[in-house]
Amino acid sequence: MKKLATENLLIGAHEDGELPIKRSQAASEVVAAVAHQLSGPLTALLLYVGDINLACDRLPIDENERRSLKTTAEHALHEAERACALIQQIAEACATPLPGAIALADGRDIIAWWSRTTAAAGRATDVDPVAANASYRLLTPREQEVLQLISQGLTNKEGALRLNIGPRTFESHRARIMRKFKAKNAAGLVRMVLQVDQTGDGSRTRPAASPEPCHANSEAAE
Amino acid sequence: MDVFGPNHFPDTAMAVQRLTRVLVIDDDACIGAAIQAILARRNCETEVASRAHAGIHALESSNFDLAMIDLFLPGMSGIDTITHVRRISAIPIVAMSGFRLHPSPGSQDYLDMAVRCGASTWLRKPFSPQQLIAAIDRSFTEASASQGLVQ
Repeated sequence: MKKLATENLLIGAHEDGELPIKRSQAASEVVAAVAHQLSGPLTALLLYVGDINLACDRLPIDENERRSLKTTAEHALHEAERACALIQQIAEACATPLPGAIALADGRDIIAWWSRTTAAAGRATDVDPVAANASYRLLTPREQEVLQLISQGLTNKEGALRLNIGPRTFESHRARIMRKFKAKNAAGLVRMVLQVDQTGDGSRTRPAASPEPCHANSEAAE
Repeated sequence: MDVFGPNHFPDTAMAVQRLTRVLVIDDDACIGAAIQAILARRNCETEVASRAHAGIHALESSNFDLAMIDLFLPGMSGIDTITHVRRISAIPIVAMSGFRLHPSPGSQDYLDMAVRCGASTWLRKPFSPQQLIAAIDRSFTEASASQGLVQ
């Protein structure tokens, strides 16, 4: 019930149709991602405040000061606990996938899901090679040419000259490429492009930081 | 002067007192930092790895009393990490997660699965210092119980 409430809040009450289902999936993944991302800082907050609260009892200060500090710590702890309870509720609401919603069949899916949701929450620590390759496949042949020139370090003017097009046209290609890769700046674009497997044989889709497979069905990439 | 000083806590009678080195595997740096801060004041050193393979490498190359492993790690899932760690070491493992995700409706969730794969106990995020200490305590009890079964 909580799940429905969360989803309806975000996307409006859609009952059927493919697009609403996709949108509700996307919304629910974003909610799950935000909940997951928040659980870190909130845990840290709860640990710090909780520990300060414990320590208050043992501070070598006068009784009045100790009591007022203790009150402050207790209030901070109370608020932290409230925020934690809320985020647990949200996490709970997204915990059981509805039929046709987020499918989490095995470890491979968890990692794919993790990559998507981390990116959705805007706190991606690593570039997901699968997403990078998917974005690359969205490029038109012209955009691929432009990307090639950008990664060679050419400016908009130089690139435009090379392709015999106007600099504004080159710029608009560049903007579309950035959008397709969801890159905020040139550095972000480069990080994505480095993960792209341009030979098309999929041999570079395994994450660079991935460890050796440690048992038969463990590894995610591929 | 550190007014909080080590060993000024009511929980020092528990397993945490026996701890000297803990490994935290979590890609969220603030979790590692917070656990480090909490345990440091209880005389315990904490090492943090943000990736499964870095954590496994640390476990292979030096001694730890306890490992705390997040279930959602980039590259290699926490479940696989726990399975792997369990093969090379008998130390208590605390599985951490912000979720109780179910692989499919009605099935076991990942925290239970983690325990089945060798974790000694689990801890749901967010957790308080008391819950952290209690989970550490539980993991020691469970780990020694399962070692007793093996012997």
